[in-house]
Amino acid sequence: MDLLQHVLNGLLQGFIFALIGLGFSMVWGILNIINLAHAAFIMLAAYLAYFLWAGQGIDPFVALPLIMAILFVVGYVIQSRVINLVMRASVLTTFLLTFGMEALLVNIALRLWTADNRQTKPFYANVSASVGDLRLPYTQLGAVVVVITLTVLLYLFLDRTRTGSSIRAVGQNRVAATLMGIDIARTYALTFAISAALAGAAGTLLSTTSAFSPGSFGVFNILAFSVVVLGGLGSIPGALVGGLVFGLVNEFAGTYALEEREVVVFAIVVFVLIVRPTGLLGREGYR
Amino acid sequence: MLGSPFLISSQRRSMAAVLVSATLVSACGAATGPASSAPPASATQSAAASIGFDGTLLFGAAISLTGSTAKEGGLTRDGYELWKETTNANGGINVGGKHYLVATKFYDDESNAQKSATLADKLINEDKINFLLGPYGTAPTLQVSSVAEKNKMPMIEGNGAAESIFSQGYQYTFGVLSPAKNYMKGLIEMAAAQSPRATTVAILTADDPFSVEVADSARALSVANGLQVVYYAKYPNNATELRAPITEAKRKAPELFLNSGHLAESLAIVQQAKELGFSPTAFGFSVGPSIPDFQTTLKGDANYIFGGSQWTADLKFAGDDLFKTPANYNAVYLKRYAYEPAYQSAQSTAVGVAFQKAIEKAGSLDAKAVRDAIAKLDFISFYGQIKFDERGINIYKPMVVEQWQNGKKATVWPPDVATAKPLWPTPPWSSR
Repeated sequence: MDLLQHVLNGLLQGFIFALIGLGFSMVWGILNIINLAHAAFIMLAAYLAYFLWAGQGIDPFVALPLIMAILFVVGYVIQSRVINLVMRASVLTTFLLTFGMEALLVNIALRLWTADNRQTKPFYANVSASVGDLRLPYTQLGAVVVVITLTVLLYLFLDRTRTGSSIRAVGQNRVAATLMGIDIARTYALTFAISAALAGAAGTLLSTTSAFSPGSFGVFNILAFSVVVLGGLGSIPGALVGGLVFGLVNEFAGTYALEEREVVVFAIVVFVLIVRPTGLLGREGYR
Repeated sequence: MLGSPFLISSQRRSMAAVLVSATLVSACGAATGPASSAPPASATQSAAASIGFDGTLLFGAAISLTGSTAKEGGLTRDGYELWKETTNANGGINVGGKHYLVATKFYDDESNAQKSATLADKLINEDKINFLLGPYGTAPTLQVSSVAEKNKMPMIEGNGAAESIFSQGYQYTFGVLSPAKNYMKGLIEMAAAQSPRATTVAILTADDPFSVEVADSARALSVANGLQVVYYAKYPNNATELRAPITEAKRKAPELFLNSGHLAESLAIVQQAKELGFSPTAFGFSVGPSIPDFQTTLKGDANYIFGGSQWTADLKFAGDDLFKTPANYNAVYLKRYAYEPAYQSAQSTAVGVAFQKAIEKAGSLDAKAVRDAIAKLDFISFYGQIKFDERGINIYKPMVVEQWQNGKKATVWPPDVATAKPLWPTPPWSSR
């Protein structure tokens, strides 16, 4: 029973990890940007969810589409007005730019909202359904539904729509896509905006499961990176698998080697990087 | 084709380059610039200094205003600032008949011990501070103490409790707070004295020098008080995903659960223990419950939880300082900041109080003279007795146990200072 509880802990966390990895992976795979501001977008969404709940009494799951829409706009503006200006430069330039944005956003948040801890805490937060001895937290169950829905929608969008095809085309070959008449700047902005919206969903969900302050989110960049390495760059099923595997590895390393958890987890990430550079699913996505 | 990034003009490209560097500069600025909540330094100070004061004494500290212990660092700064303001409102520091205005300079060490040491060096050698106040946390204090020693700069600190700081043989570092080994002492003695008495304990600790020192002493104290340690584990510093060890602890069904760590983990543990239905007879924390966020974040879930505390407003000291009693300190602090002080704030204020006492006793601003006066201090403050052993730590001040009862903090141990009886045992989550 305890073993099963550990599996559940790992999988339930894994779904949120997958969502974090999904947005990160998309920008990396298509725009070739390692977006270090991803965690800051998650932070912004967490604060939005908190203030909508604490100030307006809006349930975080109801606010989720609104928060995603706001983050979509933020992402679109940042890509089209800022990052697009340096898209031709080397990866290091966008890397530094997003690193700077992350520091800027986190420090602005610290000034505006202080280091006080907060949590979006509707009546069902940190409450669990019991199945025998097993415990299933309601917010995490809700998160699973949200993550699966968003993953399916994203897959259908990229696979079935014209705009989705143009995003995939840009990911495959920028020059050819340009020659085919695709508006690259707009496609970049759209991709980045979708990624920010996904970060928005992740931030909303995370704000209900744990307390946070502006400094709590930096860890999610490394997490997103690991999920992408495990699952394979730019692949939707890959991000899902990567997130779930990361959740399980993290949980079991925490059970049997808590003190060395980070060593174990990242050793596995490095091992996968060496043995299967294309990720556990072994294929590149969006192609 | 227009708008394609392949056609970016050189002008737009250089704009972008400027933006990149501007963003980076501002990031660095936020990291190492003087903390903004300190009043804009020299201008106001020199203006005030010209009215009624004979000079200014500059006290400096590198504190964690961002990063993992930003909250605790903020409490430290607020404690220092309250001392400064109160002292200045009462004529400043009297050095042989001359009145000196107190000024402070703070840097943000980003919760990074190495950075704290670098900034302490900068405070001493570039900003030419007169005296050094401690940073937040054991690891930074340990690093900064060697900088203080090298520069023969007296430092009093109130937020580094590990004895490893005081086993270096250093002459210039003094800590006003009780050492780490006392953090869980009251909790364990209390648990052993309740009915039904606790017989088993699980200990989960962060893997940093202070937390491990607290946890190791908690393990020894548990055994000494007849408790069986059924689970002991260290988690990587700053980890807040603790469902795995909590599930393991639940399996061992301990009656007492102790965590030695930081505010962030104390919040995560309560939330995740509730989710996982882990409900021992009592939860006890070394750090967390005394900080206001514990209750504002956890709300009703904070009830029944115990915390070891360096200081509470319920204590009865008749202090020989401007704040006099714990109750008065509490009132002054609440009026100034609109939240009740945590012990981290009180001991930071006590650092200033101790410095003032020593400087006035020394009647001199000479570092060596002040250092010797600090070593000889022995007085009762609003924070308790301040006296240092030969290592420089205050082993004379007792610690207490607090418990959240119905949304309010109550001092529950030791019995002679308690304002309420401990609520024992803790009911299951469903009936709290």
